[in-house]
Formats: sequence, C-alpha cells, structure tokens
Amino acid sequence: MPSPTPRPDDSTVALRSPSRPQAGAPTVLKIVIAGGFGAGKTTAVGAVSEITPLSTEEYLTEASADVDSLAGIEAKQTTTVAFDFGRLSLPDAPVPLELFLFGTPGQDRFVDLWYDLSRGAVGAVVLVDTRRLESSFTPVSFFEDIGLPFVVAINQFDGAHRYHPEQVRTALELPTSAPVVICDARDPNHVAGVLLTLVGHAVKSASAGPARPAATTTLQDA
Amino acid sequence: MRTYTLTRGRTKPRHLLGLETVLDAGSGRPGPGQAVECEEILALCREHRRSVTELAGRLRRPVTAVKILVSDLLDADALVVSVTDAYTASDADADERPTTHLLAALSVGLKRKWPDAVAYPKAG
Repeated sequence: MPSPTPRPDDSTVALRSPSRPQAGAPTVLKIVIAGGFGAGKTTAVGAVSEITPLSTEEYLTEASADVDSLAGIEAKQTTTVAFDFGRLSLPDAPVPLELFLFGTPGQDRFVDLWYDLSRGAVGAVVLVDTRRLESSFTPVSFFEDIGLPFVVAINQFDGAHRYHPEQVRTALELPTSAPVVICDARDPNHVAGVLLTLVGHAVKSASAGPARPAATTTLQDA
Repeated sequence: MRTYTLTRGRTKPRHLLGLETVLDAGSGRPGPGQAVECEEILALCREHRRSVTELAGRLRRPVTAVKILVSDLLDADALVVSVTDAYTASDADADERPTTHLLAALSVGLKRKWPDAVAYPKAG
C-alpha cells in the first residue's frame, strides 16, 4: 500500500499552495487574445470555448483629447468598451484546469483594460489581419513593454494576400524570440495549436528569467 | 432599467473583484429589496461557478454594475469567492505569472483535448 503522506517528489505537492481551494476545484488560467477590429478575435475565442463567446461591457475613463480640454480642468470622458469572454475546462490535464479567454480590441485607449486582463495571464495572442497590419502595433508594443509572453497569429483570410510570417515579423519589428504563426481562426485545431505555441513560449520565457518591463515606454509613440 | 438605478446610485463595488474572479453560490440568502439581477446571478452561480466577466456578459450589464451587485451578495453570504488563484506563489518576485508546473499542465491538457491541434515546431 502506498503511504498516504505525499512524497516530496510527488509533482502535486509543489502545486498545492496554502490558499488551495475546495478539493477538486479547477485552477483558472487566462489568455488574452488581442487584435484590431475584424481580426477574428470572437471567432478564435468561439473556436475553442465551451460557451458561445459572451460580449461583456465595461466603462473606461479616459482623458479627453487636448483640443477640447479647458485650462485647469481635468477633462475626462467615460467610454464603454466591449470585450469577449470564453472558457473551456481541461479536466484531463495533470491538474484540473479551467482556461479563460479574453478577446480585447486593439486600440490604445483600452490600455487600462489590458492591464487588468494581463495581470497573472499565461500570455497573449495578437491576432493579425494582414490587410490591417497597423492595428497590431499597439498591442504588440503593450505586451512587449509589460513583459507578457505573446505570439503573433496571422489569421489567414480567404482572398487576402498571403504573407510569409517573416515578412510580418519584419513589418511589426518583432524580436526573434516572439513566435509568428499562421492560423485559420475558425478551426479549433488551429486555435488550439496557437495556444500551445503560446504556452511553449511562456515556458521558455519563464525559464529565461522574469522579463523586466521597460516601464518608461509610453504607448503614445506606438 | 438604467445602470444607475440598478446599483441604486453606487458607482464602486465594496469588494475587490477582478474580471476573472470566480463566484460560487453560498448558503446565505440575499437581503430584501434586491434587484431582479441578483436572483439571476444566484441562479447562474448555482448552476455552475461563474466569473465576474461571464455574469456581466450573460446579464448584459457593465462589469462595474455587476461587481456592485456581487458585493451585496457576498456580504449576505449568498455568494462566495471561489479560490482559484494560480498566482499566489510564495515567491514574491514571481511577477504574478503562472508557475511552470501549471504551464506544463496546461500544455498537456490542451494536447489531450485537441490531439489534432496543428503544431508549430518551427515557431520561435
């Protein structure tokens, strides 16, 4: 009979933290999927989510543009941002896991939301539509700046010009360490493959030591 | 109903809740005079534990408004926060990232769920 006491080399021991929840409750992990309007974020979330992607709204306060600000008055505006949510359970993982997917718009005025979503995340997928490559600059700079591991996934739209991943890497000025892959956001096997690529990249980044964010960089320049 | 009415004029939740905070139904009952949405939140959480984001999406209400209602329900013990935090690493310098153990488990879990997932061996 095996001893009921977990052995030190039992891999589950290392995963048990003091605040460990009710037995059997899956651990939640999250991944951010960012991209410009129409890049296929909702499609990608829906391809692997167990629920129909939910569109969720949140208020954001943003400083209004300088042009209509009154001297001495801090002009702020509240806008609404919609982002997608999907989830999937991985009961067959060595530890029961639940994965949350957050699809977020790519504009830099949503940076506050990205901070919230990125905290504690596995990493991010920047979904790229090569017809609107410029909408990927802001998310790429953001994830680089905060040191969150990310992969760039080119959503191959029917009829769009096929670029080589290296061309996209050059255009987005990506470091060689960031994976660039091509996918069809409608295909669960493709999206799962992108997520696997991200997880692999996150493991590599973690073992390379925690990335220190370049805190002084501003996104205005992105 | 306007959001302002739903939250009875409150604009800030009393509890610190994240977008991915997960809620379970508790043993308490919501106080009297709660919004219909509170019953909806409880019904959803009895079915399956739900994140703040999912509740907001299903109720079609802004996240902040839902956080305010969830705070009321937490105070009444009608909801409890499900402890699912993967980032409570004792290592204070861990940058709040999931541990490599968890990442490895995620990788295995995804491969088991999608054995035909397209692999990108040359990625990186």
